[in-house]
Amino acid sequence: MLDLLIIGAGMAGLSAAYQAAKAGMSVHVIAKGQGVTHWHAGTIDVLGYSPIDRAPVDAPFAILDAVAAACPDHAYAILGGDRLRSSLDSFVHLSAEIGLPYHGAQDGANLLLPSPAGAARPVFLAPEAQLAGRLDSEQPMVIVGFERLRDFYPKLIAENLRKQGYTARSAFLPTSLITRRQDFNNVWLAEFTQDDVVLAQLGEALRGLVQPGERIGLPAILGMNEHNRVYTQLRQAAGAPIFEIPTLPPSVPGIRLYTALRQKLISLGVRVDIGMEVINFHADGERITWVETATSARPLKHRAQRFLLATGGILGGGIDSDHNGRVWETIFGLPITSPQDRATWFRPHFLDKTGQPVFRGGVPTAGDLRPLRGDGRPFFQNLWAAGGILAGADPILERSLEGIAIATGMAAVEGMMNEE
Amino acid sequence: MHTSSLLSVGNTLDECIKCNICTSYCPVSEVTDRFPGPKYVGPQAERFRELGQEKSPDHSVDYCSGCRVCNEVCPTGVRIAEINARARAQIVADRGLSLRNRLLGRNELLGKLGSFAPDLANFALHNPVSRVLAEKVVGIAQGAPLPRWHSETLNAWLARTAAQRLKSERKVVYFHGCAIQYYEPYVAFAAIAVLEHNGYEVIVPPQNCCGLPMLSNGEFEAGEGYHRGNVARLAGFARAGYAIVSTSPSCSLTLKEEAPEMLDKHDEATLILKNATWDIFEWLREEAEEGRLRTDFHPLRADGRPLVMPYHAPCQYRAHRVGKPSLDVLRLIPDLDLRESHTRCCGIAGTYGYKTEKYQIAADVGQDLFDFVLEQGDSDFVACDTETCRWQIEKFTSVANRHPIEVLAAAYGLYDLEGRRLL
Repeated sequence: MLDLLIIGAGMAGLSAAYQAAKAGMSVHVIAKGQGVTHWHAGTIDVLGYSPIDRAPVDAPFAILDAVAAACPDHAYAILGGDRLRSSLDSFVHLSAEIGLPYHGAQDGANLLLPSPAGAARPVFLAPEAQLAGRLDSEQPMVIVGFERLRDFYPKLIAENLRKQGYTARSAFLPTSLITRRQDFNNVWLAEFTQDDVVLAQLGEALRGLVQPGERIGLPAILGMNEHNRVYTQLRQAAGAPIFEIPTLPPSVPGIRLYTALRQKLISLGVRVDIGMEVINFHADGERITWVETATSARPLKHRAQRFLLATGGILGGGIDSDHNGRVWETIFGLPITSPQDRATWFRPHFLDKTGQPVFRGGVPTAGDLRPLRGDGRPFFQNLWAAGGILAGADPILERSLEGIAIATGMAAVEGMMNEE
Repeated sequence: MHTSSLLSVGNTLDECIKCNICTSYCPVSEVTDRFPGPKYVGPQAERFRELGQEKSPDHSVDYCSGCRVCNEVCPTGVRIAEINARARAQIVADRGLSLRNRLLGRNELLGKLGSFAPDLANFALHNPVSRVLAEKVVGIAQGAPLPRWHSETLNAWLARTAAQRLKSERKVVYFHGCAIQYYEPYVAFAAIAVLEHNGYEVIVPPQNCCGLPMLSNGEFEAGEGYHRGNVARLAGFARAGYAIVSTSPSCSLTLKEEAPEMLDKHDEATLILKNATWDIFEWLREEAEEGRLRTDFHPLRADGRPLVMPYHAPCQYRAHRVGKPSLDVLRLIPDLDLRESHTRCCGIAGTYGYKTEKYQIAADVGQDLFDFVLEQGDSDFVACDTETCRWQIEKFTSVANRHPIEVLAAAYGLYDLEGRRLL
């Protein structure tokens, strides 16, 4: 029988799958659809804003004790700093192994990188092409966009950067350097830049545009599966440092990371099936025996020794709600901490500094990451949970989504190993 | 026009959060400007469509190939491909159907006509002059992989070999589909041999086209007629508790989901047929999981090495949402070097790649798959479950195609994989 069935193919599910496969387990990953990896910036955010008062965080590990004291149900409080650190180290090794090396600042501080609106985004680990956009470097920037490319506005980005005291100007290039297509999106542009002719044209245009001493900021479209080659060749051709700014979805850096991780998992013998929605499960006492997914006719049973719930929060689909205020976990009906009354979902102010209560709700767990009953015992003996489904954090507000996902995904597998 | 409610399918469009993941994965919009992508023609244009309106807001929906990559990757469960298929039916209802699409929808009739004189039919269809004429006059692409009529139909073979069929308490019903009846009866020979080898008596009742070619060309009323015929002929077997298995994932998909959903058929007979229908490998995989599948396999070798076989799961499996059952079963065969394709689509999408204006799009869509097959270098065969996909892959790679059931029959020592005949 299968050792581990993982439900969800975001960073939590994929990190857990990697850890489990490496430990010799047979693993199957199923997910309803593609998710958060295709929306996020392709960076690993650990803690950008304090869950206590939303103050900007300079160095996540420096405030973990304070977080643990103030928010005891936060994933970082439950795991502790050492487990968070070791899982991030594992991710850094993994990223190098899959050919998309991620790095952080030398001193454990957050990096500040430009967002597609020109804001300074706190990030803990970034792929090389985004690292070159570090805002603690004083090197002036030229932000280059492409005509008719939706959702990437170099003037806006440069202006916002200038307002924050950075040196930046903007420029446009014709999209015909990359494609003659009438319509295009970031993903196709990334594919098209892998063509040698396109790459040469683009490099020449950038060389003509960049001024001495400047670095060039481009939308994140520099290659898909051949990103490293495109990025290296383009820097050489342009004769200047280049950095990528992540775009609105679909996000090429996120898709690159997902694709590389998925390939790695497949090479480790893991099956990854997208388009499978869990609609039912069966438990024998305190053990889940199977879950069922919807098919074109009768449901398909998936039996396994262990199950990992990595379906995400409200956006990911792990948590759903209705107009009456009910909020629930979508697969197993696990107890969750979310407010069950619409009047208490939100605070009066949209941008309230403490966030909105409904986004902090989720499945409560203990250190081994098994969801708990009210009396503190595991809900099921063989069910673990990781990532955005967990209670106690507001990952988007805190900028902690990937940190929590990777750390809890890996810790859940550790929990399973300790169980034996 | 055909009046369909917008029940389950239409309602899913409210789940769309405009994330564009579908557009990022759509293999058609990636290669052509003629198709702006699933999000635009699906959930977005759908808001401007209503029953009975005179003009359809968006004709580019006709360039949707129906591969369902969009459905698979959608994080919120929007049935984009089905929305598109219904929109195409609305266009057909508004503007009528071309002769070409009418012909392509009628492969059962064409198959039957040709089978009266297969040699003549093959000559008439396959000579270069006919192909030029078919392209110029009808709009069927000259290069598209048209099948050849087999010298004997499946029904004729079944009648001739009736005495040799296994009788057993355990019975299973076989749905062959039109392509197997007229062009590739040997796939059925292999299927019947595998089922009998596992102790099942195989019933092949009278049946007609599943109706999918019509449904996918927007001809819903005629398609419904075919589906009604199958329900009448097969629901009784379903009620009696027999599984109905098919070697054509597109036919089985139509019986299971396409026809009921597209045509809003939710009556008892349709539903019982839906729930009794299986793709043959989906069914064999269950048999294997229950420990009932025989595993007396012979190694499949060529020139003293394991047979090298790229395998591509057809898009219909994506719609079945059952994973890759043929791969799961073929992996039980020792000494078979299966190479799994992770590419999206071969491009042909049933009748799509046969159309002159879509032929090149289909070829471009399939390029990743063709490259994958060719990169394997020394492939003996390329395996895929759906017939038009197999023909398309063979045409663009020159690697001979086989249905996975032929491979399984060969592994049991029942079938000559090279000569495509029973041993």
